[in-house]
Amino acid sequence: MRGAAANAFQPAMLCTLLWLALATSAPSDTLAEIRARGFFIWGADEEGGGPYVFPDPGDPERRIGFEVDLARELARELSGELGRTIEARFAQSPWDKLPDLLKTGRIDLVLNGYEWTEERSRDMASTLPYYVYELQLLARADRSDASWDWLASPPQKRVGVLGGSAAENYLAERHPGLELVSYDGNTNAMGDVVSGRLDATLQDLPIALFYRADFPALAFAGAPVAPGRYVIFVRREDQTLRAALDRAILALRASGTLRAIDERYGIWTEAQHDPELLSLPEGARPSSADSSASGFLARYATTLLASAGMTVLLSVLSFPLAIVLGVLVALGRLYGPRLVAWPLTVYVEVLRGTPLMLQLFVIFYVFPNAGLRLDALTAGVLGLAINYSAYEAEIYRAGLQAVPRGQMEAALALGMSRRLALRRIVLPQAVRIVLPAVTNDFIALFKDTSVCSVITVVELTKRYNIAAMTHPADVLPLAALAAALYLVMSYPLSLLSARLERALR
Amino acid sequence: MIRVRELAKRYGAQEVLRGVTLEVERGEVAAIIGSSGSGKSTFLRCLNGLERLDAGTIEIAGTTLRAGVEPALEQRLHAAIRARVGMVFQQFHLFPHLSVLANIVEAPTQVAHRPPEEARTRAMALLERVGLAGKAQARPSTLSGGEQQRVAIARALAMEPEAILFDEPTSALDPRMASEVLSVLADLAHDGLTMVVVTHAMAFARRAAGRVHVFHEGRVIESGPPEQVLEHPREPATLALLEIVRG
Repeated sequence: MRGAAANAFQPAMLCTLLWLALATSAPSDTLAEIRARGFFIWGADEEGGGPYVFPDPGDPERRIGFEVDLARELARELSGELGRTIEARFAQSPWDKLPDLLKTGRIDLVLNGYEWTEERSRDMASTLPYYVYELQLLARADRSDASWDWLASPPQKRVGVLGGSAAENYLAERHPGLELVSYDGNTNAMGDVVSGRLDATLQDLPIALFYRADFPALAFAGAPVAPGRYVIFVRREDQTLRAALDRAILALRASGTLRAIDERYGIWTEAQHDPELLSLPEGARPSSADSSASGFLARYATTLLASAGMTVLLSVLSFPLAIVLGVLVALGRLYGPRLVAWPLTVYVEVLRGTPLMLQLFVIFYVFPNAGLRLDALTAGVLGLAINYSAYEAEIYRAGLQAVPRGQMEAALALGMSRRLALRRIVLPQAVRIVLPAVTNDFIALFKDTSVCSVITVVELTKRYNIAAMTHPADVLPLAALAAALYLVMSYPLSLLSARLERALR
Repeated sequence: MIRVRELAKRYGAQEVLRGVTLEVERGEVAAIIGSSGSGKSTFLRCLNGLERLDAGTIEIAGTTLRAGVEPALEQRLHAAIRARVGMVFQQFHLFPHLSVLANIVEAPTQVAHRPPEEARTRAMALLERVGLAGKAQARPSTLSGGEQQRVAIARALAMEPEAILFDEPTSALDPRMASEVLSVLADLAHDGLTMVVVTHAMAFARRAAGRVHVFHEGRVIESGPPEQVLEHPREPATLALLEIVRG
């Protein structure tokens, strides 16, 4: 799939932090560990879609893909070698975060269309290739003259590629005259070729083969080019695990199991015999069962609903925490001594001034370095709570200041201490003042939970993205369904807050 | 009961009080009159520590306040005074999130730690006394200004103070509501409560006050029984003030 190029939007600071976090991971014998616990954890991104790892169209709860089958067969081989049943457990992660996950020890291996590159093999230990991929140029079927020569001839062509992919690197190097358009997903570029926004797209051959049926208006232009190897990566120090996986891959190739898996997904190519061979094979992709809108939506409604549960869980766990933290910070800033107020001002400004996504990265990827390893849900709840506490603190500060000074004076004149007056008289009035702003924030946090997908939490938006990547033709009903779920959940919140405001007036 | 010596108070360069000396006996009603900016409200707020004094001494309800006391001690002194001396504000300052009854019960239960039942019974008796027994469950915002001020008086009385400071208690009220409040004040005076009342209501001062003190530019320029100060003022400033009030 994608190449080594880092995601451009990530701040350089994050890279530094991650480097600090990852530089000191402790070595251990993972193969022995796998034998002891009876399973290995392989990381991949469901959002990458077919044919690698993707939800079964017939049962979205189930994961299928040629790498899912491969992981299962690898587990079977390891079971034989280790003398006990080994299970392959899947871990979801954004594709470009998989090496980080590997290095922090959350997964044992990366198995997700990762090309072998010199750069990566310096960083991680690579197994033998389990698949030889090539790049395939796609153009509209009605353009019969489409070819590599056509691409290079004037006028200048617009070509869509996956951002940071091997295809992008290849074109940038070999055909500098082209206008390259970078995409986030595989199928978006294909759709834009059909619509005419692009002249062509260069895709990994397995993807082109797999989505062929979804884009009948597209045709393969020219022969596949630039063969490369998909390999499994393990931690650099895990040489015993790497050797065991090498033996397993060789055994699977010898027994014809690898070929059977590839054929199941219609991605078997002659290049699997010889990386230098450049012929286009016949390929049949697995029947993508019932694709009618109603049956499809009924199946997805269940998975989306389950992920909506995660969205709700993240919200209801993090917001009360944000409120408590926010109140403490606001009180500290308003009434605390300078030694307390000043650091709290920094706290608020730093948290408001940096992206939530970055904060989540730090909690999830950097904290383990300090000995604090949190699971994804805990890290998500904590990140949201801390981030929102800064906003809450500012709202409460304004609310506290909006209570007339006479209220405090009247309370003091009755003999109350400052603390008691705050708690009994000022705070309850401030709550009434800030309530609309706070409910507004809760609804905002509710939607911000989607950012947690970057630390591998699969909630509603992530589930939608995965589904949309897998079923590009059904993006519209899926988006409508996801949006409806958000609305169905947030509208009662609005009603509740309106009622609360009336009751407290 | 209250003995103030050479009290001075400054806001930056502005001298608000320039050496006020004044005494109030137990059971006495002291009316304080003066034009706006003469320092009378600031004086009142100094008495219970809502303002810090810059010089002089205040002896009130057995406690002595001085300038330059360390904050922790000052807080204890203020607490001691406020437990014995109540205050009623021009703008009432009822707690809007609490019912009328809860406003009155708040300090006895939270500060004096009285049993809630006892505090409620007493609060109802006080509401009866100010003529608002029927409004116990109402929110302050639903009451008229006069009613709110009477609740504020009941709230101050609930702490069983030895004295109450009134800061222009009727200035925010129309004449009818003001007279409701003043009749409550006259009633309290009759019962022997020590009161310091900053007011523009000369009729009340004449009828209920034992002594009248005239503030002018941060000083007390004239003190005496109302019939003397209000009928035969010695100072031209007092005369001018009385003429303005009479219209």
